[in-house]
Amino acid sequence: MKSLLFAECFKLFRQSKTYYAVASLLIIEGIILISAYFEGTNIINILLDNLRKTFYLKGNLLNGNLLQYLVLNTLWFHLPLIIMIVVSGMLTAEYKDKTVQTIFLQPVRKWKWILSKYIIAVGFTAFIVGLLFITSYWLCNVFFGKGDLVVYLDGLSFFSAKDASNRIQWAFLAGTISMVFFAVSSLTIAVILKDVTKTWIVCALFLIICNVLLKIDLGTDWLNQFSFFKLNDTWQYFFQYDIPYSRIWLNWLISLFYIITIASVGIIIFQKRDIG
Amino acid sequence: MISGINISKQYLGIKVLNDVSIHCQSGQICGLLGANGAGKTTLFKILLGLVTPDSGNIIVEAASKKRIGGIIEKPALYEYLSALDNLRIFASIQQLPTNRTTLEKYLLRVGLPLNRKDPVANFSMGMKQRLGIAIALLNNPSCLILDEPFTGLDPMGVVSLRSLIRQLTQEFQLAVFLSSHILEDLNQLCSRLYVLQNGKLIRQGNTQAIMLECTQQYIITAKNLRQSNMLHQWEHQLQGDTLKIHIQPTQVPDFLSALALEKIEITSCIPQPDLLLLFEGGKE
Repeated sequence: MKSLLFAECFKLFRQSKTYYAVASLLIIEGIILISAYFEGTNIINILLDNLRKTFYLKGNLLNGNLLQYLVLNTLWFHLPLIIMIVVSGMLTAEYKDKTVQTIFLQPVRKWKWILSKYIIAVGFTAFIVGLLFITSYWLCNVFFGKGDLVVYLDGLSFFSAKDASNRIQWAFLAGTISMVFFAVSSLTIAVILKDVTKTWIVCALFLIICNVLLKIDLGTDWLNQFSFFKLNDTWQYFFQYDIPYSRIWLNWLISLFYIITIASVGIIIFQKRDIG
Repeated sequence: MISGINISKQYLGIKVLNDVSIHCQSGQICGLLGANGAGKTTLFKILLGLVTPDSGNIIVEAASKKRIGGIIEKPALYEYLSALDNLRIFASIQQLPTNRTTLEKYLLRVGLPLNRKDPVANFSMGMKQRLGIAIALLNNPSCLILDEPFTGLDPMGVVSLRSLIRQLTQEFQLAVFLSSHILEDLNQLCSRLYVLQNGKLIRQGNTQAIMLECTQQYIITAKNLRQSNMLHQWEHQLQGDTLKIHIQPTQVPDFLSALALEKIEITSCIPQPDLLLLFEGGKE
């Protein structure tokens, strides 16, 4: 298994498309930061317009913490999309180039090989989200400095700089779990479809549906609690004044259940199918 | 030794292989001949374990963990990696040593240069075929299956690959199966031949015997063919120095002797197997 993991990692980081994906994410992050700087001023002005009439607000609210929070808010389409393209490509490229045949002409177990792809997909996703966290933390704090965070979720909440930084770190962790869900789903879609273009289209459709359904009230508490697309909002709980830890842990457990189930389905399908 | 016994396979109700049995001994090269769509690749995929047959058995006598090595259609390699890195990947996934010296030995075994560090995407088809064979031979399989190995090669590449296949078969006592629809390739390499048509085995046996059985025409080239008087007794076509003649294989020695007696300077005599007879058993 160790050698399979090494091989997958080696292949992933020897392909130029991986670096294109990382570079495009960093470019998008830069663009978001620049636009967030200007949008951030407007948002703060709108949010605090009434408060300024009653209260005296001291300090710079357009700071690194707010920008990092805005970056977090804007990551939920292009980040999973790029991760899904790279991760599904780990398998569809093998089908396209027929290297999957060469692999299974060696004494390699099918389930071990595909499992190693799932493990590397999870690792790569964590690496990407970690990279975005580090770069956004560094860029936001170097260029905009630290400060208290103001967010609007059902109402205005203010967090001290230290508390805000802590909440942002947890939110990135929650985001990682959501991204892993999308990465694992894209690999299972690739197992089913095999074809590069079809996989991309279905991955994009899946992502769009998840994002649309995330914002729709499904009518019953049960569906709102347990549907996988609703779990992608878990990171927002870290910006409620009192963090609902029990709800977050439950969401993470359910997400983990979905991730393991979807990966297992992919492994079973791959194991049962002929390679040729 | 490798045997496929009574192998059948159908896709969407269409029988692509119908009760096919083939066999190849260690140190022997066997050919599989058939037109496009005859079922050659499917049969090889089944022998290699990439496709499950609907019925039939595959028996391979092998001491190694990897029983069969092979290439299907064309060598499928990681085009963005160098030859050495390709070998490293395929060696590492089967827990073989991946140190540089060992990997370079594999490259030398198939006659690949050690100084190419660029991605295999830049390699010629001949070099890719050689690298594909090096990968197929990792872990010392006792059988080698090569599906259309000469496709896309220039004449020099074909000659060189033929010689490599011959050499490896002898050196490692491999049982080698190779497919092609080019008769010349199979005729030169294979001691035994199987002919597939629409998923059914229509001929099998000694390659030379099958070729002779299906040969009723020869092309003879000679400088002064027009001076021959005995030619008129035969059905023939003469164009410049080239003679196309309908003749039975058993009559060839006498025919050539007669031409020689007439002082005709023969430079070549090439049998022309009847493709319809060979590929389709003579059916229209």
